[in-house]
Amino acid sequence: MRRVLATLAIAAALAAGAARAEDLAAGISRDKIEITSSFTGTDVVVFGAIELESGEALPATEMRDVVVVIRSDKPYLVTVRKKDQVGPIWMNRDQRRFAGVPGYYFLSSTRPLKDIASAEVLEQFEIGLDRIALGPAPGAIGGPREFREAILRTKMTQDLYSQHEGAVSFLSGSLFRTTVALPPNVPAGHLKVLVYAFADGQVTSSSTMTLFIDKTGIERGLSEFAHHWPLFYGLAAVLLSALAGFLASLAFRERH
Amino acid sequence: MQIYLPIAEMPVNIFLIIGLGAAVGFLSGMFGVGGGFILTPFLMFWGIPPAVAVATQSTQIVASSVSGVLTHWRKGNVDFKMGGVLLGGGLVGSVLGIQLFNALKAAGQADLFISLSYVIFLGSIGGLMFWESLQAVRHGGSSVGSARREPGGHYWVHGWPLKMRFHRSKLYISAIPPALLGVLIGLLAVVMGIGGGFILVPAMIYLLRMPTAIVVGTSLFQIIFVAAFSTLLHAITNQSVDAILAVLLILGGVFGAQFGVRYGERLRSDWLRLCLAALVLMICLRLGVDLVLPPTDPFNLIVEGLE
Repeated sequence: MRRVLATLAIAAALAAGAARAEDLAAGISRDKIEITSSFTGTDVVVFGAIELESGEALPATEMRDVVVVIRSDKPYLVTVRKKDQVGPIWMNRDQRRFAGVPGYYFLSSTRPLKDIASAEVLEQFEIGLDRIALGPAPGAIGGPREFREAILRTKMTQDLYSQHEGAVSFLSGSLFRTTVALPPNVPAGHLKVLVYAFADGQVTSSSTMTLFIDKTGIERGLSEFAHHWPLFYGLAAVLLSALAGFLASLAFRERH
Repeated sequence: MQIYLPIAEMPVNIFLIIGLGAAVGFLSGMFGVGGGFILTPFLMFWGIPPAVAVATQSTQIVASSVSGVLTHWRKGNVDFKMGGVLLGGGLVGSVLGIQLFNALKAAGQADLFISLSYVIFLGSIGGLMFWESLQAVRHGGSSVGSARREPGGHYWVHGWPLKMRFHRSKLYISAIPPALLGVLIGLLAVVMGIGGGFILVPAMIYLLRMPTAIVVGTSLFQIIFVAAFSTLLHAITNQSVDAILAVLLILGGVFGAQFGVRYGERLRSDWLRLCLAALVLMICLRLGVDLVLPPTDPFNLIVEGLE
């Protein structure tokens, strides 16, 4: 629902800004990252230019703010449990289930978000860590904010969520760039790269790209084997383990 | 040097994991314990997702117990008949265990139950064993098996029907106590996610009165099957066995186990029991402290999967 609203809002904003219609042309230094056995994270540069639809540069009086959001396409279901003290023992007491939890969320902006647009506008586009639309899972009830905050806090310590206000820089009046340090544990799959230009607290133009994180070589082969033929994968794991144990005892017998 | 784990979806330090495998393999070969109760928390400490840690450590246990059993077997230190009876009971126990585990999971208290049963089992077994072996060490190293088993001596386990002769263990006892022990181990193996060696080893020494040397090999024999079953179950239901992580752990584990067996032999059996008791008590203490100390973050996340 919120996605639809966001799309409508962009359309409305673009219609309203028709007088000064502009284009946001954005690019990404690599649109496919291959995870190999030596993958330890990588840097990606998101860049772009804002110009008038006519192709002319923006007038020098027109200032824009840029926000870059990178998030995983598919949301996860997550259960948050809270420990409380019962007698001398800490045990799980309260729990909440959440839907719509992105596996990865990165945000970079020219200035602090609160200076760029109002909370309502940011909310529409899910811009900002504290505005990710985490909702109760189907059939679950909502709960205190602390459960939601626990998700953000945990994901931040794992480097999966991050927010860098002021990290988008303008090279000239209309050219901007920002560097994204993808962590080594970034989930494989498609990431959405969303770029928004703001003026006077409204989105004036936007652009969407896809960044594909793909396992290759042996990593991909093993992962597909594990998921498509789980029984054989399990049997192979057991047999190889037993074989390794057997070989080790042989190797040691000869030396003894 | 880092290597990327395809199932855990994160890189780890190769040497760290091999070293960890070797250390756990050493304990496994020496004491006849699987080592899963040490390995899993360590892997999780380094950020491996719990499901992957639990599933993958069982492959390492298969490898190091096979490695250890073969070495013990060549020395005539495995009682396959006793192992078979234990295993038969173990199968029954694991079927019961799956039902108990599902009931606990539905109540959201599986973790607490696991920790509490660890503390209770480890504490009582470790405590008794520590006391007994300390006495034995003080009185000049008589082993339980030889010192207390006078010819024709009878204990409560000896009065039961269905008597069987276990040549290797030099026992002529009812098959019921080892089978019941097997049921208990199978049940705990499923519920607690362990091979059960640290319970099985003391039980064989003190309840069945088997010679310490035979106990270690026989326990490892039993653990191979429990761990293999567990690996298969995890691979099928969660697809969480990480082959690369397994290879690294096994590489360290199989060699560690070989050194463990050899070092264990040189140790007097009362000292061996004392060391195992100390290890069990340390783990018990750690888990107990974790239950009582306020957690650094009272919240914990369980990612259930894609929507």
